[in-house]
Amino acid sequence: MGRMTFVARRLVMLVPVAIGVTIVVFFLIHLIPGDPARTILGVHATPQRIALLHKQWGLNRPLVSQYWLFMDRLAHGNLGQSLFYGTPARPLILGRLPPTLWLIVYAAVLAIAISVPLATIAATRKDAVRDHLVRVVPLLGLGMPPFWVGILLIDALAIHVRAFPVSGYGNGFFGHLHAMFLPALTVAIALAPVVIRALRASMLNVLGAEYITTARSKGVPARRLFLRHVLRNAVIPAVTVLGINIGFLIGGTVIIENIFAVPGIGQLMINSIFRRDFPVVQGVTLVFGVLVVLVNLLADLSYAALDPRVRFDR
Amino acid sequence: MAHRFTMRKALVSAGVLIVLAGCSSGGKSGGTTGATSGPVHGGNLVIARTADSQSMNATTVFDNESIWIFEQIYQTLYTVTNNGKGVKPWLATGYKVSSDSKTYTFTLRPGVKFSNGKLMTSADVKFSIDQTRKAAKGWGYIDTAIKSVDAPTPSTVVIHLKYPWAPLLADLSLFANGIVPNNYGGKTETQFYNHPMGTGPFKWDYWHKGSALKLVRNPYYWQKGKPYLNSVTWTYVASDNTRELQLKGGQTQIDEFPAWSTVSNLKSTPGVNMHLFNSTRTDYLLFNEKRKPFQDVHVRRAISLAINRGALVKAVLFGNGRPANSFMPPQVPYYQKATKGLQYNLAAAKAEMAKSSVPHGFSTTLLIPSGTSDATTVATIMQSELRPLGIKVNIKQLDPNTAFLDAQNQKYDMTLSYWTMDIPDPDELVTFAVDPNSGAKSFFTSYNNPTVVQDAHLAEQTLSTSKRQGLYNYIQAHAAADAFMAFLYYSPYAYATTSKVHGFFVTPLGNYHMENVWLSK
Repeated sequence: MGRMTFVARRLVMLVPVAIGVTIVVFFLIHLIPGDPARTILGVHATPQRIALLHKQWGLNRPLVSQYWLFMDRLAHGNLGQSLFYGTPARPLILGRLPPTLWLIVYAAVLAIAISVPLATIAATRKDAVRDHLVRVVPLLGLGMPPFWVGILLIDALAIHVRAFPVSGYGNGFFGHLHAMFLPALTVAIALAPVVIRALRASMLNVLGAEYITTARSKGVPARRLFLRHVLRNAVIPAVTVLGINIGFLIGGTVIIENIFAVPGIGQLMINSIFRRDFPVVQGVTLVFGVLVVLVNLLADLSYAALDPRVRFDR
Repeated sequence: MAHRFTMRKALVSAGVLIVLAGCSSGGKSGGTTGATSGPVHGGNLVIARTADSQSMNATTVFDNESIWIFEQIYQTLYTVTNNGKGVKPWLATGYKVSSDSKTYTFTLRPGVKFSNGKLMTSADVKFSIDQTRKAAKGWGYIDTAIKSVDAPTPSTVVIHLKYPWAPLLADLSLFANGIVPNNYGGKTETQFYNHPMGTGPFKWDYWHKGSALKLVRNPYYWQKGKPYLNSVTWTYVASDNTRELQLKGGQTQIDEFPAWSTVSNLKSTPGVNMHLFNSTRTDYLLFNEKRKPFQDVHVRRAISLAINRGALVKAVLFGNGRPANSFMPPQVPYYQKATKGLQYNLAAAKAEMAKSSVPHGFSTTLLIPSGTSDATTVATIMQSELRPLGIKVNIKQLDPNTAFLDAQNQKYDMTLSYWTMDIPDPDELVTFAVDPNSGAKSFFTSYNNPTVVQDAHLAEQTLSTSKRQGLYNYIQAHAAADAFMAFLYYSPYAYATTSKVHGFFVTPLGNYHMENVWLSK
């Protein structure tokens, strides 16, 4: 099976995943108590006003009928209307997607930028002081809650040094790069310890392999040996760890988005749940589901790029 | 050695990424300067707020985060005075009333233009009020006394009432009666409210939902020389910490509702002005009279008497408020200071309990929304304060939406709630709070005192100020004696601004006039 066939098959698998996600989310969100009409009307909610809104939104129909309508709209690329904003849900969700994607990708890049050198430092001097330091110090990042790390970073780098804005998303590529640095670093600090440990362990394995000894004895320059033989082979388990963590991260960006006022999809999700804005919750969950599948697909594809022995028919 | 080289390269590449990110654009410079001698034109002011707006449709929207923004776009015939107790002419310059008090003739302010430069006329006023009256799922009820609106000349509007109606001017000062162009300027209602237009000091720029909403200066604004600012941007920053850090970092100029625990610290922060504006916010403990034993007035009185409101003010508001004596707040006309209410007196509470149907106490549940530290603090204090009466309070936390739903459906024993005024007249609150036949079933308590209900409706049609005061005095005194709710505390509106912000003032109703605000250099 070629690469394109593999990708096509995985993309086709998205359809049952998406349908499964819609069924679970649709019925779960409707099962929990709460009413969007009462949220919007506040203390001014009267039975008459609530009934008018329910009729306008179609919430007076049976649940199955509402689900069918949702799927019918979805088949036409329509996620319905946000009950809270009264505007189409699709542009609302798609408009909030870029900040979250920026955060995830930027955090992954920073996590790699932190992990590779530190794992290298540790693996090349196993059990030395620097190895112990690399194994212990990053764990602080894993142990400290991200909201606390985020506030510390803001206080140090945004308030005192004033090198970065306190929060926000920025404008344009360099604006995003600048504004999203602290949130991405916060995520990277939590992500890096896991990647460092995975990378260090696999580097140690590779460094002990016979082909490395052979390469050394043949006089392969150290830099080439490291980049072509050690790092490339050691990185595959780390890619798996990173892929899984990014999958979790997609659904868990809300805390970081909240602290740094990043107008991302995680914050939209939480607000929409509190408002019982059903179409938006369903739409966002669908996007999350698709993203997780795509990230795993990318991880699979990267194995093949890194290791030619990986075949797509296994 | 070779490994060291690799490490160095790797570290350098990581460092380059960090430096690149740090240098790609500059951070804002800090420091503040003193105010100049008078207002300065220009500047873009940013307000960091706690929630996003919902819609700009003033006739159907109830959330403050929408209201405070579209009040900068639409204006009303009359507006609220700074003390929140009266109205003053705004787009109207005055009115005459007929001898039967059922016809009001308003004269419109000359030369008022919409932000597209078109002159505002009586046709716009008639259209706007008629739209609000039609809004069945919105604010239509506020105009129920209005029979019809006429526009006999371009500068005259006549409002015919079904019956004499004391709160008319207050009702007309409500944002929902703000003036928009006749027939929405040729657009559909949806199109218009996506890009709204009015006679206010600012006009529409953009709204990135969930992120930021920006208004820019209206060049046709009728108050000469105003507004001072070029633009105002409201950003949605949910975290209290982040809003405060943004203020300190110069990224925002106004922090809406800093946490009470930070108020004291902000007061002493250089470059920051901490404002506590008088508000109409009143917090209550509601008793569900559909459930036993809360039909028993002695039980309700006992609980009201056992609550140490001073302790609540200290614990929840960090001292930035005061105990409530009436269900009406002090910033509302006809508030009666002399009504003492049922204040903390444990001996009297025990005496009331002894007279009740449950003299040895009972077990009950206090419903509160989860994730709200203020509600949790209040509930914990009450749990402790009611123990001497033999009342065992179980705290039930539900997510805010569900808790609100259960409160409205009266699926609770006791719950916490609050009120803020929309109009400078007690009518809306009083009807809401004491009339079991209103949509709110006496603030979701089912409280029913026929004399109080009768007086509430009599006050609506009583034009004499002194007679209305008498009626509202009676209502407040009896509502307090009936203890249909325990009135807890009055709290101010907290806003922190940078010291560069001038002219920012919040009325007790929560409105602010951004046309008066300016930024010093």
